[in-house]
Amino acid sequence: MTSTRRHTTGDYDHLEPLFAEFASLPEDDERRHELRERLVTEHLPVAQHIARRFAHRGEPPEDLTQVATVGLINAVDRFDPERGTDFLSFAVPTITGEVRKYFRDCSWAVRVPRRLKELHLSISGATAELSQQFGRAPTPSELAGHLGMTNEDVYEGLQASNAYNSSSLDEMLLDDAESSMTLGDALGEEDVDLAGVENREALRPLLARLPERERHIVALRFFGNLTQTQIAKRVGISQMHVSRLLAKTLAHLREGLLGSPR
Amino acid sequence: MSEAESTINEPISDDVSFDVEVRVAATPQHLSAIRAVAADLAMRADFDLDAIADLKLAVDEACSTLVMHAASGTELSCAFRCTPDEIAVRAVVPSADGTPPRRDTFSWRVLSTLADFVTASVSRDGTPTRVRIDLVKKRTTVVNA
Repeated sequence: MTSTRRHTTGDYDHLEPLFAEFASLPEDDERRHELRERLVTEHLPVAQHIARRFAHRGEPPEDLTQVATVGLINAVDRFDPERGTDFLSFAVPTITGEVRKYFRDCSWAVRVPRRLKELHLSISGATAELSQQFGRAPTPSELAGHLGMTNEDVYEGLQASNAYNSSSLDEMLLDDAESSMTLGDALGEEDVDLAGVENREALRPLLARLPERERHIVALRFFGNLTQTQIAKRVGISQMHVSRLLAKTLAHLREGLLGSPR
Repeated sequence: MSEAESTINEPISDDVSFDVEVRVAATPQHLSAIRAVAADLAMRADFDLDAIADLKLAVDEACSTLVMHAASGTELSCAFRCTPDEIAVRAVVPSADGTPPRRDTFSWRVLSTLADFVTASVSRDGTPTRVRIDLVKKRTTVVNA
């Protein structure tokens, strides 16, 4: 399929014909799932490129890449090849819009001075770097040494991170849990061994209703015994984000388990 | 490391003295104060970020469990003791029905994964009967990869 309107050419041309096939297949077709995964995976550099354009604005790069990927998945699902435009002309604004939405919604829960936002970003960057270097999470004093700051500055930055609210990203994935693929889909499902858990009958449906990624994180932490840093690396988000997701998911499960054996 | 191996059998002795104690109404909405204190203590003890996050989640889980076991209108006490190698936590509420939290639940699995040591008990020596969870989070042994 060729289109004279196409202005972005190159590496993705060979994927263009797949969209027509993708759109023609019924929802539950095995081939459709394969195509969807391939279209998302092979266009990932586009999402990553857009995420990079928004770097240095105070958000961890891992989280930006993830939001951009959600935008890409939405673009793949919503693209209508019948309209005669090429995919990238549709995808780039869709992905960019998703990242902009993230910046709009994902804000500090309380008013935080610019200095603290920058501190948060420095700490987040240093955490990723040192975790990579050490193979474990750094301590506050290691972060202070690396950043040339006092321990008190790092404490302040870590506390400020608690005021940070990225719930919109989590909500977005919750909303999309049933209809669209999350990053977790690509990671495969963990078989959670609930033997010995008395309230597993109540737990199982709650776990099943969690977004793929949250279920995966819970499985890795509580049934696979991985640390948050190891999970962050595997899932491709920051350790602080893993921490927030775990806290939120545990609270959600606790609420759901009310009334079952405590 | 399996869970059995990571569970160290060292209960916190009864006569131990604590450094910090936080008391709140035994309702879920006040637990954020306790979480904040737990995170602050672990941070200032220079625990690594995983251990800080684990302690915070463990304290949240323990206190949430106790809130469900608390007699209505009572207070939850959460006390912390910081030593160079570990932070010990004792959380206590007056019991609603004299039963301890069960150990075969998901919540207990969460607690025993997050903490290095955890135990639950009911004390009938005083009035009212109290239910208590003790937990210990050890500093992560630093082995640079």
